[in-house]
Amino acid sequence: MTEPKQPIIQIRNASKRFRNVLALNNVNLDIHAGQVVVIIGPSGSGKSTLLRCINRLEVLDEGDIWVDGMQLDHSATNINRIREEVGMVFQQFNLFPNLTVLQNVMLAQQIVRKRSKDAAERTARGLLEKVGIPEKADVFPPKLSGGQQQRVAIARALAMNPKIMLFDEPTSALDPEMIKEVLDVMLDLAKEGITMVVVTHEMGFARAAANRIIFMDQGEKLEDTTPEGLFESPESQRLQQFLSKILSH
Amino acid sequence: MSISSQDPSSPRQFIDVRKFTTQIVRHRSWFVSFIVLDILVVMAITSDPILIETWNYIVPGIAVTIQIAIVSFILATIVGLVTALGRISSNSLIYNSSTLYVELFRGLPLLVIILIFSFVITPALIDFVTTIPFLDDLLQHLVGIPEDRIATTLLRTRDIEETTRIIFAFALTYGAFMSEVFRAGIESIGRGQMEAARSLGMTYTQAMRYVILPQAVRNVLPAMANNFVLLLKDTSLASVVAVPEISHLTRQYSSNRFRYPQGLLILSFIYANLTIIMSMGVYWLESRLKTDKRED
Repeated sequence: MTEPKQPIIQIRNASKRFRNVLALNNVNLDIHAGQVVVIIGPSGSGKSTLLRCINRLEVLDEGDIWVDGMQLDHSATNINRIREEVGMVFQQFNLFPNLTVLQNVMLAQQIVRKRSKDAAERTARGLLEKVGIPEKADVFPPKLSGGQQQRVAIARALAMNPKIMLFDEPTSALDPEMIKEVLDVMLDLAKEGITMVVVTHEMGFARAAANRIIFMDQGEKLEDTTPEGLFESPESQRLQQFLSKILSH
Repeated sequence: MSISSQDPSSPRQFIDVRKFTTQIVRHRSWFVSFIVLDILVVMAITSDPILIETWNYIVPGIAVTIQIAIVSFILATIVGLVTALGRISSNSLIYNSSTLYVELFRGLPLLVIILIFSFVITPALIDFVTTIPFLDDLLQHLVGIPEDRIATTLLRTRDIEETTRIIFAFALTYGAFMSEVFRAGIESIGRGQMEAARSLGMTYTQAMRYVILPQAVRNVLPAMANNFVLLLKDTSLASVVAVPEISHLTRQYSSNRFRYPQGLLILSFIYANLTIIMSMGVYWLESRLKTDKRED
């Protein structure tokens, strides 16, 4: 970023351990508003853990995270306040199966943002239009395809007007023919200038939408580069190995 | 299979009679037999003056039985829900005290709990209450002591009806059972639901109330209904402390006139009809929830 403004996400010396596995090993990362950051790496490399630490679904063992100027582990910080500003999309969609698509998108608006029913419904219908499934508003999520469910999940997160969107392998649980419809929605979002942090294996998306690519392995941030840099001049040997594995076919 | 049942052009074939009959014979014969038996018993009762007398003596107890069952069940549901939330709490004081309660009440026989509530806890509570004039007056007012005497008298144990005392015994015992039902229900909802709700900025309480509990309760509705059937049968234990429900009335009537066969016939007739009708309701509920799931 050209402006030396304060980063919207600051991660300092983040470490996290699951029993005897070091999931995050002293990670430092600054993300500025409007950036689209893609995190790649082999499974078990700590990508998802890092993402989940940003909205405190996981708690760091050591280190600090600031989101939008608020420190995460600080006891005075209201974690729910931060989560309102940070939308998250999960690999398994996690839609609420007992509510219709429309109600899924409306619920948090009403009880967290305290919007009126009418206002919430207007926002929800607008967003369903945006993700391309307005006709499914009154359907229950289990009746939708995976791709449709994930698009509803994106609409649900966007309904809170978050400043930051986190995507945790959003297309990994999808059938191949549904991946594109989800990535298209994400590409549109990237163009709108919302800050996005995406854990994915979709190199095509990384190439098309990312400003920055982070490569992680065994809990460490090994490379912080641009899409061009990633494919043309991968520095570390582990990244070269990783790329040769995923790009070989 | 038969041609007619497979032929869509046959206009009069609205239901597949053969399939329907197989269904009834295979899976509902027990119920048909029960109905036949029921009708035979009704015929016997209406034709025998002694049985009519027995019936008339016992029948007022039905209202008491059902009242105890319903009131205790409502209280048990509330207690169970709160305890279930305590059992999954990360606060160790809350977790341990709710677990102690559940284990204690599940570990004691219901009959013993009823006796304790009637003869130990209620008198002890009354002794305590009478030391606080305000509470004493309030409770006397609630149990219907004439207003002009409230100021001068103290509450006595016998002012509290047996029915009230044992309702608390039932509510707390079944509350312990129900808490396990609810806990299983809550734990059956994937962790992702809570994470999704929390990531949208909901508090733990909001996530529970709007996302987790509606799904959990729906999943355990059949188990709840089953508990109601069990509770209804267990109300017969209230007879040991002379609550005028059907078992107590039956014992009274039968021993007074040496008419045990008649009394117990009527008693079984009433219980069987109450519980089997409810069991049918449970089956219906289960199958409805199952088809809902299949459509998903």
